[in-house]
Amino acid sequence: MIEVKNITKTYGKKDNVFRVLNDVNFTIPDGASVAILGKSGSGKSTLMHVMSGLDRPDKGQVVIDGQDILSMNQKDIDKFRSTAMSFIFQSFFVQANESCYDNVSLPLEIANVPTKKRRSKIEAALKAVELIDKKKSRARELSGGQKQRLAVARAIVNQPKILFADEPTGNLDSVTGGVVEDLLFDYNKRNKVTLIVVTHDEDLANRCDIQIRIKDGEIESVKGKK
Amino acid sequence: MRLRDVSIRAARSLKQAKARTLLTSLAIGVGAFTITLSLAAGVGGRAYTDQIVSANTDIKELSVAKAKPQEQQGPQKYSDTSSGVATGLFAGQYLNLDDISKIKQIDGVVSVSPNYNPQVRYISGPSGDRYLAALSTFSPSVTLKLAAGSTSGDLADNEIILTEAYVTALGFSDDQSAVGQTVNIVADKLSSPLSNPESRTFNYVVKAISSKSGLAFRAQSTLLLSNNASKTLYDYINQGTRNYGNFTVTAVQAVSADKTNTIKQTLTDMGYFAQTAADILGVINTFINVLQGILLGFGALAVITSVFGIINTQYISVLERVQQIGLMKALGMRRRDVGRLFKLEAAWIGFIGGAVGSGLAVIFGLVVNPIISKALDIGDVRLLIFEPLNIFIVVAGLVLVAVASGILPARKAARLNPIDALRTE
Repeated sequence: MIEVKNITKTYGKKDNVFRVLNDVNFTIPDGASVAILGKSGSGKSTLMHVMSGLDRPDKGQVVIDGQDILSMNQKDIDKFRSTAMSFIFQSFFVQANESCYDNVSLPLEIANVPTKKRRSKIEAALKAVELIDKKKSRARELSGGQKQRLAVARAIVNQPKILFADEPTGNLDSVTGGVVEDLLFDYNKRNKVTLIVVTHDEDLANRCDIQIRIKDGEIESVKGKK
Repeated sequence: MRLRDVSIRAARSLKQAKARTLLTSLAIGVGAFTITLSLAAGVGGRAYTDQIVSANTDIKELSVAKAKPQEQQGPQKYSDTSSGVATGLFAGQYLNLDDISKIKQIDGVVSVSPNYNPQVRYISGPSGDRYLAALSTFSPSVTLKLAAGSTSGDLADNEIILTEAYVTALGFSDDQSAVGQTVNIVADKLSSPLSNPESRTFNYVVKAISSKSGLAFRAQSTLLLSNNASKTLYDYINQGTRNYGNFTVTAVQAVSADKTNTIKQTLTDMGYFAQTAADILGVINTFINVLQGILLGFGALAVITSVFGIINTQYISVLERVQQIGLMKALGMRRRDVGRLFKLEAAWIGFIGGAVGSGLAVIFGLVVNPIISKALDIGDVRLLIFEPLNIFIVVAGLVLVAVASGILPARKAARLNPIDALRTE
């Protein structure tokens, strides 16, 4: 369970203070799929950064399974992120010069997974996104959709509890985007992994269990199937 | 993250910028090249002087003069009591027979052999042709390169060592056939009256032929006699003249090499000017050390220049990979590991530079050593000697220098804010 409590985040100083997030509160049950909806500048990306411990808010708590990750020191947050969270970005951020295998290997290396155990995990992740035949290809040889699938493989290789996706289909056409969406929701349902999608795409948001709408740093509405 | 994984990733990202890596490494390689060569030249040079000194002097031997030669300050005053040597530049005093006997009594002194250097008229052999000859005293512990014959132990008083050049001149067919033959040396008695000059022929058996060596100074042209034979000739020639019993310098044999310093001290206390073989070696080595220092300085300069190259390259590398760093940090990579990644990249650059530079230096040495030896005519002596330990120290040192210069860029990478790094628009 993820509890977001009284999150307030401001940028700037003195006269130029800009409030990105203003007293944001909500709760996400384990294994749910959640869409954080909002226009650009609404604060949805900042909310994702705060929830993942990448950014520190001025006030508030992010409690994941009873533990406030914002009260941890940097080392513990890093460790938490490397073992329990993963990310998918709009612009993929796969390493073009590296092979698909090495791209997927990165989170395991960061999480100190022993070398012997890596191979089976990497191959399983590549199989799940149907890129096992591209194992040795360099990422730059892949198409956009394949790159995002590679990013999905990288995100799921270490079996995270929470999967953050920041506009995962923003750079893809509707067909390849659909494939990536299917992969994400399939993985969410099958492994009871909490999926948090940041988007402004209504269709993508509607596939999620919960929709949280943000406007000018405040929660406009929280709708859910449950 | 494990060190192994970090270092593999560091090597991989260097491989992706091959030209840049290589060029940066080459800058440090120039330093490695120069430093390795200067160290090799130092080792080789010292080994060379060691050989020279051991070929020409005896480590148990001291060279003693009456007083340290003074640089001449104008004309010297004449004195009846002491005879002096004066050349255009230096002035000194002779050792006389009293001095010799005083030195003989010093504890630890085995023998005193003044440089008799008898001035003979000529030497002749089977051919009958007469040649001028410079004679010197043989010392059993001075290394000689022999072309024929052997000198196990000391030289007998009727034996002589010729140089190769005299073999054919005196009428022998080759080196080997000269050994065991007799040569004649004719000397003039200087004190005999001009109207009735007296001279005598001395016969010697050729014991060995010394060959031309890059190391030996005197073996090139002087013929060697035993100490007694030299003294006999000297006495015959000079007895009765004013200069009889006056020597510029004398060799003093100590009972063992470690005794030389105490003997030197005693001699100094008595007012003599004494030098051990080590002193002579030291003077030459100082010269080599200065030259080596200059070369090392150039190497250090090249290394300092390459430091800026590494810093620059690594900064560019950080800027190029902002997104990669952001992603790694988002995935939970620790600051320390990000910093390490870039420091290890710098370490690789240092290692490649060091290895390439010192490798080229070794190859250069292999190519150039025979050329130098030939040009200086020093035979088999190698002037560049590469010691594995020195090369290891150079490479390890440059890796450290590279890591140190990678610190600033690595810190920049470690401090990068992942949110800024991952912003796409």
